[in-house]
Amino acid sequence: MTRTATGLALLFGALLAAAAMVPLPLRAQPAPPPARPAAPAAPGQAAPAAPALAVPALVAELSQRRVEITTGFTGADILVFGSTERLIGENSDEVLVVASGPPQPMVVRRKVKILGFWVNGPSATFPQVPGFYAISGTRPAWQMLPEDVRQSGRLGLDALPLRALGAQGPAFRAALLELKKNAGLWVEDTVPVEVSGGRLFHVRLPLPATVTPGAYRVEVLLVRDRRIVARQGLDFEVVRVGAAAEISTIASTEPMLYGLVCIALAAFAGWFGSVVFRRS
Amino acid sequence: MQVYLPIAEMSVNALLLLGIGFGVGWLSGLFGVGGGFLLTPLLILIGIPSPVAVASGANQTLGASVSGLIAQWRRGNVDWRMGLVLVAGGFTGSALGVQFFVLLRRLGQVDLAVALFYIVVLGIVGVLMVMESLRAIRRRRRAVPTRLHEHTWMHGLPFKMRFRKSRLYISVIPPLLVGLSIGMLSAIMGVGGGFMLVPAMIYVLGIPTSVVIGTSLFQVVFVSANVTLLQALQTGAVDIVLVLLLLAGGVAGAQFGAAMGTRLRGEETRALLGLLVLAVAGSLLWELVRTPESLFVIAPLP
Repeated sequence: MTRTATGLALLFGALLAAAAMVPLPLRAQPAPPPARPAAPAAPGQAAPAAPALAVPALVAELSQRRVEITTGFTGADILVFGSTERLIGENSDEVLVVASGPPQPMVVRRKVKILGFWVNGPSATFPQVPGFYAISGTRPAWQMLPEDVRQSGRLGLDALPLRALGAQGPAFRAALLELKKNAGLWVEDTVPVEVSGGRLFHVRLPLPATVTPGAYRVEVLLVRDRRIVARQGLDFEVVRVGAAAEISTIASTEPMLYGLVCIALAAFAGWFGSVVFRRS
Repeated sequence: MQVYLPIAEMSVNALLLLGIGFGVGWLSGLFGVGGGFLLTPLLILIGIPSPVAVASGANQTLGASVSGLIAQWRRGNVDWRMGLVLVAGGFTGSALGVQFFVLLRRLGQVDLAVALFYIVVLGIVGVLMVMESLRAIRRRRRAVPTRLHEHTWMHGLPFKMRFRKSRLYISVIPPLLVGLSIGMLSAIMGVGGGFMLVPAMIYVLGIPTSVVIGTSLFQVVFVSANVTLLQALQTGAVDIVLVLLLLAGGVAGAQFGAAMGTRLRGEETRALLGLLVLAVAGSLLWELVRTPESLFVIAPLP
């Protein structure tokens, strides 16, 4: 944790210095690359909507490109940070950060009362549901953007295209939203994007301990006059490492071996324990 | 201290798991049963998904029963022949049970089925145990001599076999059927089945109490090993990290429980176990009957 924090402080310092020193209007060079050497998303791609400007309107980076699920994993924070060309404010540039995780099919089941028991009744299958989704902005997205842009850009939990197979009805969709939100896997505007020094922004996206491994993508959008004028995509991955990774890999690829090892380990632990703790 | 369970894909407090293991182990040592019937519901209660709780519960039961089996074997309380017949039935039953479990999982009814099985089986077994032990306590007061076991229609079945240690000469069909049904329940409920096997052996098969626990542990060890393997192959839901944490607490608890159990008389022990079984059944029933906090549940598509 402390190492990450130091790294962040350094990155922040670098960005702050760059933003303060470089004369803005006529800079030929692209914005200073973030301290991390291999940043795949080049800042040059960031301003397709404003070709007149040579200066990238938006530069953003992530605190880490890899989140490791170890045996002690209890969740993680991804820090998204960057700077804009103009001052950030309500009538100027605004920033929207959207993160989404690997899609997975989900089943929503409604409980029904049968003979006094609550049992799983009708179900709806949602084939394409992001396992993780977080959106945060300097203001809520619906205040920044027209409704049609927000819907087509899938910016906001109510703009997610959740189409169900099987039982239909808005209640299933609402329940999916509710339960995903309760699990901390879908997050909307829980913390706003913080701005410091007028042009530097950052936001922490919380990944709960239940995140699924896979490829995640963070989109940083620059909004000006209710239009998206620049965007930058940043990828990170959530991977299982160490013993946790080994165990789940072996369990799925070598189930026979895994089962036998489980039997042997449990039997050994039982025998060993009885030797250690014998009281007679 | 949080620990990430790789198969359940969630992180839980390691101390909580050790504590649950210890508590269940203590009770299992006290009563001479594997304790799976307490463990699986407790795991579900703390939020472990039902399939993982059931599959890992079976694996934990294996470990917890090994030490008991070793202890009973040292004292010569295991009827190997009877054990092998029970295991033969148990293997068949657990194979069928795992198939049924896979089907339930596809239908999305694992939670309900597991809970219902627990309520029905624990309810019946609990009531029988309490009633029988109360009767035994009363009978002891009046000091009426009883026969070794009653002779019933079962003793007229073919394929008779002599079980020297159990002092029985009976057909192999009843023990095979007992083993089969316990093996099936074991796969669905994630238990070794000791709490059902012990009464079945005493009241149905008429095996003397002295060899019942050792012999039932013999069956439990092999059948839970079989369930572990089948669950690993078919549902992939055995979480070895969870199992080892539970066992670490469990084996310690079991030794304390066993030391205490020797000071309790058989009838009182059985009455207490019966009450405990009823309490678990009651709490599971309450969970099914009360209005749930959320009327919806979500799960990844299996």
